[in-house]
Amino acid sequence: MKKRISLIVLATTMMVSVLSACGGSGGSTDTAGQGESGSNGTKTLRFATWDTGDTLKIEQDIAKKFEAEHPGTKVQVEAYADGFDQKMAAGFGAGNPPDVMYMWDFPTYHQSLEPLDSFAEKDKDLNIDDFYKGLFNYGKIDGKLYGIPAGFTTRVVYYNKKLFDTAGIPYPKDGWTWSEFQDIAQKLTDKSKKQYGFGVRAENDTYDLQGLVWSNGGSFISPDGKTIDGYMNSKETAESIQMFGDMVKNGSAVLTGGKGQQSGDDIFKAGKIAMWESGIWPLESFKKAGIDVGTVEMPAFPGKPLKGVLAESALSIAKDSKQKDLAWEFIKFYVSDESIKMRVADLPVRQSVVTELKKDQDPLYKPYYTMLERSDNTPAFLLNPKWNEVNRQLSAAVEAVMHGSNAQDVLNQAVKDSERYMK
Amino acid sequence: MKVQWLQRFYRRILSGSYRSIRTKLLFCFLIVTLIPLLSLGALSYYQSARMINSQFGKYGENAVAQLEQQTNSSLSRMKQMSETIYSYLMDPARTDLGNRAPVTYNEIIEKNDFEALLTSLRTDLTAGIYIITPSGYYYGENNLDVNKLGNIPAWKAKPASYQGTYWLGFYMQNHASSSESDSSPPVLGLAMPIHNSNGTHDGSTILIEENAQELLHMYRLFEEDTKAHLTIKAPDGRIVYKSASAITPKDSDIIWKRTLAVNQWTIEARLPSKAFYQSSGIIRSNTIIVAVISCILAFGLAYIFSSHFTSRIRTLKDSMQKVSFGKLDTRMPVEGRDELGSLDMSFNRMVSGVQTLIQEVEQSERLKKEAELRAFHYQINPHLLFNTLNSIQWKARLEGAEDIRQMLYHLTMVLEGNLDISQELITLGRELRMIEHFLKIQEIRYGAVFHYELHCREELKQYLIPRMTLQPLFENIFFHGFTDGIGVIELDVKEEAEELLLTIRDNGAGMTAEKLEHLFTAGPKRRGRGGLGVQNADQKFKLHFGPQYGLTVYSTKGEGTTIIIRWPQKEERSDGYSQEN
Repeated sequence: MKKRISLIVLATTMMVSVLSACGGSGGSTDTAGQGESGSNGTKTLRFATWDTGDTLKIEQDIAKKFEAEHPGTKVQVEAYADGFDQKMAAGFGAGNPPDVMYMWDFPTYHQSLEPLDSFAEKDKDLNIDDFYKGLFNYGKIDGKLYGIPAGFTTRVVYYNKKLFDTAGIPYPKDGWTWSEFQDIAQKLTDKSKKQYGFGVRAENDTYDLQGLVWSNGGSFISPDGKTIDGYMNSKETAESIQMFGDMVKNGSAVLTGGKGQQSGDDIFKAGKIAMWESGIWPLESFKKAGIDVGTVEMPAFPGKPLKGVLAESALSIAKDSKQKDLAWEFIKFYVSDESIKMRVADLPVRQSVVTELKKDQDPLYKPYYTMLERSDNTPAFLLNPKWNEVNRQLSAAVEAVMHGSNAQDVLNQAVKDSERYMK
Repeated sequence: MKVQWLQRFYRRILSGSYRSIRTKLLFCFLIVTLIPLLSLGALSYYQSARMINSQFGKYGENAVAQLEQQTNSSLSRMKQMSETIYSYLMDPARTDLGNRAPVTYNEIIEKNDFEALLTSLRTDLTAGIYIITPSGYYYGENNLDVNKLGNIPAWKAKPASYQGTYWLGFYMQNHASSSESDSSPPVLGLAMPIHNSNGTHDGSTILIEENAQELLHMYRLFEEDTKAHLTIKAPDGRIVYKSASAITPKDSDIIWKRTLAVNQWTIEARLPSKAFYQSSGIIRSNTIIVAVISCILAFGLAYIFSSHFTSRIRTLKDSMQKVSFGKLDTRMPVEGRDELGSLDMSFNRMVSGVQTLIQEVEQSERLKKEAELRAFHYQINPHLLFNTLNSIQWKARLEGAEDIRQMLYHLTMVLEGNLDISQELITLGRELRMIEHFLKIQEIRYGAVFHYELHCREELKQYLIPRMTLQPLFENIFFHGFTDGIGVIELDVKEEAEELLLTIRDNGAGMTAEKLEHLFTAGPKRRGRGGLGVQNADQKFKLHFGPQYGLTVYSTKGEGTTIIIRWPQKEERSDGYSQEN
């Protein structure tokens, strides 16, 4: 009878195990979602960027390379895109910012950032002298360094060679003037084809317009940063901005990027504008779109020195970061020759890389470097900590000009409205 | 083939042959095994199925509640957003926010402030916040192509005079102005027409879109998880969301239903009862499989066990049959020390007992036959012998040889008793008379040199004694015990209880202990003649009265021999079984 008992036991065990297996499937769902908390041993470095698309892809690749070279480290790339400022403000406010972040607006955020002077001095590997001179000025507030330059661009004029060839107009050359520019724009405009000589942004970033303003001898703010009246609404400033408004008015330029309008980059890619003013960012996409594109320095105002404006992105470490040394390692890696070569959407910050790649010899890239030499004015946001508030009025005024308002009138109005922030 | 085997099997089971014990055993085992097994299986199936069903039911209920909550939070967030914007626009101070594109400085300032508000309202999930004016101008991010709003399925269906929140449901956000951005995420849309007859915003519509990827992902997860069919319906019957899988509604379907508080949408998860009971079905089939396997196992084991058991009985039975046919050397192999083993052993013992018994019977039969043959031989012609002896007697009388005549007379008397084999038992008196005759012969031969004493009460002489038992003993005394017939013989007959005790004592040569020992051992080749009479006499007593009776011999070398005979009292029957001479 023993046999039979053991059989029953066996069968019962089998059945019980079958039942418990079935029962298990019901309740196992709540175990998911526990793996998020960082396991011991791996350090996670948060890196915030405003870039999207291909540029973001490059940054992720760099992060992966860094992970490969630093085992046990994970770089979490946080792409904030348009919401960058909002997210950063929220992160700093909550004391939970990313460890490393792209940064340009140092006057606003420097109090939340870690001064990097001591890191830069200690670390000879960084080789500060190899960076373009002047790039460091943008990351300095009150003599303290808050950002290591990661990339920069100056602004040039892109032109569609095919449209020039079709119209039989010679390509523009460095040293040209705004009147030549306006002439060419007029000639290349063909409204029947919806083709325009130039594109004007409906909503300009006033920062980008500074090169234009400076070239005409104007400025948004006094050199000491304390006065805007007589600067922002000066004749020279108004004149330069009015020029763009006039081109829209007379039809040689088209408004771009506003409500219901295509972006200038897209229209240029479509071959519907002959000239376009921008930084290096869209260059790769223009090439990809099959546009035979040329670059040239910005035009000058007759008899006045041409000035450029430098847009720089830097990397900073949050003051609240818990792993500053690792963050510094990442920044160093990010501005190493290796990483710089990967980042084609920026201009290299190191002279050695530029020389090695012969970028400054390439006619397509040369104008960026000649414009760099002309970018020695200090942008307004570095001169006055309340510039963001002032800028709201200025932006509205510039936008009104593009929609047909008189530049002098609206700039006067903007100055009047902004005076309260200057006290 | 199989069918045949089955039929044979049935016949075996139904037939009342010797296999019936095995069949009974088999069924007994099966019942003992299967009843607990099946009841246990059924019990555990029903209990676990009930548990799982109720758990799954609760799980589905909770999952739907979770969906409801998530959807609700999205909806209420969007609704709140639209209300904030609405109240902002209703503020009479916002007159500069017109229905047309702002061109003046003040309009642009207002627009920028308003759009700053819109930006601040954004959350991670917000996909778009737009206020679309009747002119086609809109506020919000510069990425909307107003002409493509028609792509939203529910956008055009919206009645012009609609008041309040109008939910557009789920759709792909493909109204971007830039042709390049091909990413069109699924969104949840809310349109809120502005009715303000005096204000500037009359006829504008607030459009709020929230990324629905996560929400839809949750729905899909739920569908995968529970295999349920999810339907979200607006109160007007419009289907907002529907699972990709097709389903035909049945009354038996399990339905989990929830209504969203924000906009009265109903979330209905419909699960075919078959799918709902699938897990318990798995348990059932598993239980059945296990039960069937156990049955087969139990059946097999029971079959093996019972056939092992019955085969032993069968061999025993076969052996018995063999024995009944006369093969007495049949023996059972003893397997195990159980009851069957001991049965085997007793069988073996019994058969060997029978065998020896039969051998003994055979032996005694043979001896009897030999004796009869011998008797025939002796009986050849006793009349011839007697007549001749009488003639010699007469001749001796005529010749005057009185001694010889006396001897012949006594010999005749002795022989008469000796040769009459018709009676095996004779009275003690007759046997004693024959001894007298024998002693007379000896007396004539040796002279009166020996002394014979007889002590026997007259009434004891009527009891029976085997024929010719005493004479050989006396002959032994004369031939082995005495020298030249000199000695004393004492014969003493006593009654003891129901038995007779006869003692013959002589003062002859006696014998050694060794010889005494050999006296009773039967053997075909015995040296000398001595002892044959003793053994014969003993055999006769044992044959007639039983093995407990017979002779006992005591002897000492040089001092004589005493023989004691013991046998039961038995009287002559009146029908003349034995006749007196």
